[in-house]
Amino acid sequence: MSDRRNSRRTQQWRDTTIPRRPLLWLAAALLFTLPALLGALASWVPFLFLFALLLKFWMEPRGYRLRSTSLKLILAALTLGAIFLSYDTLKGIEPAVSLLAVLVSLKILEAHTAREFQVMVMMAWVLCLCGFLLSQDLAIAFCLFVAFALLIAALVQFHRPATAGSPGAFWLPLATTLKLLAQAAPVVVLLFLLFPRINTGFQFRIGDLHAAMTGFSDRLSPGGIETLANSSDIAFRAEFPDRRTGPGGPLYWRGLVMWHCEGLEWRAPYAPASISDSFQQYPASDKTIRQRITIAPHGARWMFALDRPFGIPSGAMLARGNYLYSVQPIRKPRRYEVLSSTDPIGEELGARERREALQLPASISPAVRELAASLAAQNSGPRATVASGLQFFRTQGFRYSLSPGEYNKNDLEEFLFRRRTGFCEHYAASFATLMRLAGIPARVVVGYLGGEYNDLGGFFLVRQADTHAWCEVWIPENGWTRIDPTSVVAPGRANLDLSSFLASRVASGEMAAGRSAFLTRLARLALVNQIRFIWEALNYQWDTRVLGFDADVQDVLLTSLGLTNGGPFPLVMQVLIVIAALLIIYAGWMQLRTRPRADRVQALYERYCQKLARIGVQRDPWEGPSDFAKRAAQSFPNASEYVRQITETYIALRYAPGPAAISLDKFAKKINAFTAHR
Amino acid sequence: MKAGKFPLLYPTGSFAGLLFVLGAMWYAASSQNNPAVYLLLFGLTAVFLVSIPHTLLNLADVTIASESAKPAFAGQEVSLPIEIMNCSRAPRRGIQLVVPGRGGQRKHVDYIPAGKAARVTLRFPAKQRGEHRISTFRLTSIYPLGFVRVSKKFASSQTYLVYPKPSGDPRLPMHRARSPHSPPQTELGEGDDFAGVRAYVPGESQRHIDWRAVARGQPLMTKQFAAEAEGSVHLDFSALRFHRAEERLSQLALWVIEAERVRRPYSLRLPNTDIAPAVGEAHFHRCLRALSLFPGEEGA
Repeated sequence: MSDRRNSRRTQQWRDTTIPRRPLLWLAAALLFTLPALLGALASWVPFLFLFALLLKFWMEPRGYRLRSTSLKLILAALTLGAIFLSYDTLKGIEPAVSLLAVLVSLKILEAHTAREFQVMVMMAWVLCLCGFLLSQDLAIAFCLFVAFALLIAALVQFHRPATAGSPGAFWLPLATTLKLLAQAAPVVVLLFLLFPRINTGFQFRIGDLHAAMTGFSDRLSPGGIETLANSSDIAFRAEFPDRRTGPGGPLYWRGLVMWHCEGLEWRAPYAPASISDSFQQYPASDKTIRQRITIAPHGARWMFALDRPFGIPSGAMLARGNYLYSVQPIRKPRRYEVLSSTDPIGEELGARERREALQLPASISPAVRELAASLAAQNSGPRATVASGLQFFRTQGFRYSLSPGEYNKNDLEEFLFRRRTGFCEHYAASFATLMRLAGIPARVVVGYLGGEYNDLGGFFLVRQADTHAWCEVWIPENGWTRIDPTSVVAPGRANLDLSSFLASRVASGEMAAGRSAFLTRLARLALVNQIRFIWEALNYQWDTRVLGFDADVQDVLLTSLGLTNGGPFPLVMQVLIVIAALLIIYAGWMQLRTRPRADRVQALYERYCQKLARIGVQRDPWEGPSDFAKRAAQSFPNASEYVRQITETYIALRYAPGPAAISLDKFAKKINAFTAHR
Repeated sequence: MKAGKFPLLYPTGSFAGLLFVLGAMWYAASSQNNPAVYLLLFGLTAVFLVSIPHTLLNLADVTIASESAKPAFAGQEVSLPIEIMNCSRAPRRGIQLVVPGRGGQRKHVDYIPAGKAARVTLRFPAKQRGEHRISTFRLTSIYPLGFVRVSKKFASSQTYLVYPKPSGDPRLPMHRARSPHSPPQTELGEGDDFAGVRAYVPGESQRHIDWRAVARGQPLMTKQFAAEAEGSVHLDFSALRFHRAEERLSQLALWVIEAERVRRPYSLRLPNTDIAPAVGEAHFHRCLRALSLFPGEEGA
């Protein structure tokens, strides 16, 4: 009987309604998780989510909530069905995230007790987790960490249901949360850097979210790069560790080399052959540029470096044509260091390579063949042929345009003789084809040109819009030589990134202002630019320091710290010991700061009493300090002045309202100086 | 009150939920090799770890002192005022006072400013007569995050007295109750002359409470009316015809209350105690105390 009553009482204590304030914090946290999930949620889920939040705030003060079990089951079944209809499947992360969001929405309507509040906080944390699985973008991460902090604030608020009168009802949870986060920061850094990242081996693929290829493809077809010209997605970021800014001159970032010509369309080999760099002589160190490149995941395997890379980062190879090729597709941000030579690298053209570099499609129109033959015939050597080829582009009224109209892969003749309007890809492809027709080994290189220098972070930001294509021709004396026919047609392009180049053209009236005119104008505002630079610099730090710090990078760090011997277990122990020490320091520090001050006054006074006791005046437990002082003064008339002073000070320190006039240290000195003599 | 040497620290129910979330994060992070999820995992872990000293120190330099509880009659509620003192220089929050055993009594104190004290009153039903002892109080706190609970034990020698439940015939015995077979006779003995006030004893009729004094902010007082002329009453345990000792004690307790109410001197005779006739508050409590401490099958 009494047991049952006990349990009911406990139940009652638990079944308190959730106060409004913690619920507000929780709702704010849930709102902040939403941006991260938006991409994966079925279109109706966010509305349900928001509706549930609003409904809860309407219901809670009125004491309504979702009580009926059958209604709950029906709602759950309905939403489950709706999710299935939206995705046609329940497998994969997107339906799972939608399901979780829906469950949280229903839970909000149902939740009523303290325990259910905790469950909602846990679910919200799992939503944060899902958000990070879906996207690691800095803006998203920022939202999620705000949500994370708000959840902590909700818990703090919840465990101290603020009575109306207590101070700081609103700010206190926030202040406590910030204090907790500040104290947690060193622990997080320690764990993040040193805690072993054990790969469980149970891989589950997250959708096909990252499988989509971004950037250019292994095929250079008319119109391929144009579509990238408006994309402001980040391709990669590059730092030059040995110098503050980049090297002078245009930055040609080599991506991949295309050997196979089909007229206006070019193609890279499916499986590039690897070449070793051992036979090449290393250039002098002042002719090399070291770069640290952080590549954004693009799903393909090429990696970027300034013309011409010769050192190979781990996990990559140097493919024929001197470009970096990753062993694994790049599906997550990756950071590597690479050396490039500014001088041509001494190399030879083998017979097989020469044959490949002269390959031509059968379907080349006679007019084009004629043009190539005339270029070759006028000149004695390859240099002169190249020069007259460029001359042809310069003088025959070619125009650089982002919207040159549609071309077929066989439209070489159409491009060269009639429309004469094109983009870098058209120029590179047609020029290389012409050179091959003229008997000069040629190939097309696709990569990026330029990049925006971020002064704050000291790095170059290269966007997809900076995609560029150029040619390389074989000049026997020089080896492979870079020729950029686009620079002949649009001379400014090589020294600017594409967006600034286009902006300048819009400004000078050469190009009609498109729909991005407003953005272009906005981008020219200094303040906006400054903010953008700061954001990009932050983004870079996030991508390199946090997202780039994976198990491999950690291995390197641990090795360099000499912490790898002995396996992960001792390391975990060491980390835990350091953290425990840190926690003890925190605890000790907080204890010291909040220990009662009165103790010291009391302790000092007790020492003084002991001194008196030693010479025969014992203070009785019920005796007040003044009475005791009177008695002591009677016993020792010669020390009466001291006794009076000490007692007065003690009373002032102990009982006076407001700050004491005399400092504690002075009191201590006085008591130390006091020696009673009979 | 003397505090236990070390505060105990143990996980709460929601710690299991936290472990589950941390496990999910760890699984996702390690299988995806996703540094952002690792950051979230370590962030949550670190905040949890850092909250432990906060919880632990939430009880540092907090002591409790209990005041003496007023005796209650069995079947009523004992109310025990307790002071939770925060001797530290920081405010303390979210403290719970638990008395083990007595129906899981808990009292929540949200906020105690630095150097101040909070006063809570524990109320629990007085079940059995006798002297009861609360040997331990416990302060617990799960603030700020609720994943661990710190618990500090305070040894106490707090006692409270529960008087027997007054019941039976309210009419006072007329004659000298020494003759065992004389039936109790009606003697209402309520005088009409106002003779003064004394402290209200729980269980008394509320008709005689001096409500005007209460309105003036004074404690509950019972108005007394003179009926002294009646002579003294002798309340004798062995003179009662009930079989069970508890019933006799209840009847005696009722008579004590009645006699005190009408200000008639009464004496109490128990097998082990003899209390001379008198009237007044001290005498009243002395008698009831003797009744409540009477050794019996149920007495404490």
